[in-house]
Amino acid sequence: MDHLFDRRIIFVGGKGGVGKTTTAGALALMAGEAGRSTLLVSTDPAHSLGDVFDIRVGNKETPLAPNLAGLEIDPEAEAERHIATVKMSMKSLVAPKMYGEIDRQLELARHSPGTVEAALLERMADLMSDAKSRFDLLIFDTAPSGHTIRLLSLPEVLSAWSDGMLGHQDRSRKLSELLKVFGRDHSREDEFGVIGGSKEEPDDSRDGRIQDILLTRRRKFHRARALLTDPAVTAFLMVLTAERLPILETRKTLDLLGKFDVPVAGMVVNRLLPPEVDGDFLQERRAQEQEYRDEIDRTFAHLKRVYLNLLPHDVHGVETLLEIGRAILQQLGQPGQPGEDVGAAEAP
Amino acid sequence: MKWPDFKKKLNEWAHLASEVYHSPYRGAVARAKRDQDDLFMLLIFSEMMGVPNPATYYTLELQPVLLERFHEWHTRMGMEHSPLDDFKCC
Repeated sequence: MDHLFDRRIIFVGGKGGVGKTTTAGALALMAGEAGRSTLLVSTDPAHSLGDVFDIRVGNKETPLAPNLAGLEIDPEAEAERHIATVKMSMKSLVAPKMYGEIDRQLELARHSPGTVEAALLERMADLMSDAKSRFDLLIFDTAPSGHTIRLLSLPEVLSAWSDGMLGHQDRSRKLSELLKVFGRDHSREDEFGVIGGSKEEPDDSRDGRIQDILLTRRRKFHRARALLTDPAVTAFLMVLTAERLPILETRKTLDLLGKFDVPVAGMVVNRLLPPEVDGDFLQERRAQEQEYRDEIDRTFAHLKRVYLNLLPHDVHGVETLLEIGRAILQQLGQPGQPGEDVGAAEAP
Repeated sequence: MKWPDFKKKLNEWAHLASEVYHSPYRGAVARAKRDQDDLFMLLIFSEMMGVPNPATYYTLELQPVLLERFHEWHTRMGMEHSPLDDFKCC
């Protein structure tokens, strides 16, 4: 019924080095082949997207294949841009002799913890809501799991933050209104003086601006969260290898994804030793691998699982990726074309 | 005393009475609002004071709006000069 590529956003995640970029690349190529115009986005600070496709990608949308473009987000550059905007609006408000101070202060903010993460999230959220007009499908090749989970939880945490801040603003505004009830006779203002309040600007207009900024923020967070948790829009695909640590980390990640209501489409168990391996050493490894495979089958019985064998050569180039992509889709039980039944239903 | 003069006096007394009644409340409310706003300032500028704030990226965009309130705030907080070495406004 519903095809993986009918989603608008696919996240590929997992521990470092298990084959996330390969999986994401393979899926993206398949989606492109299936006629979905696709954007493959790498959020890992150590980008390897370009290396897999042998094309320099960088922080702009770069064509990789028919119907497929790639993008390597540079969070530092995003943070830089954000701070430059703040600097501009601050400088429009203060005397030029303070420009130096502002520059120095905002440089500190750039290096404060969380800034780069926030910038990355901001870019991802923008892509999730804006790329719709240009692309049918977004595939995120995420950074190693812990980082990604933090990123997915940010919209929730930050919605709470912006709600709290708006609460403060709201209380302040109510007090302002109350102050008006006890209002003064304006002809006598000088005699009785003014308590509180700023002389430069009426509080109302500034409060309004603060409110606007906070509301815009909150809208953004809410939208990102709504998209992330909608099973018709988003699917998360875990990649792991049949080894102890990746299994443990995958379990933790899945717990957290569950906690944040992010829909999980399945998992790819990568780099399995093929049965025909020769030599005692490899046979022994395979026996151990079998134990972990059993554990994976037990622990993740509720999820769709895809098993991929270790290849005799590096994954490099479009042909190999397509092969892998076909294997993944077949094992996910959807060799058909995306949107088939939808198209049939819409046909006149 | 003529009637218009008397009316004017009456108005003044009425105003005075109203002020006597209202001022304490007005003062209390104004103080409450100021405290609320000061707390808000602290939340926005906390990172500058060395208090880690996970939302720095977002508080940053509010700082320009609050910049002119900054001086008023730090003087009220009992600091004659800006408490931040890097951010002197006076």
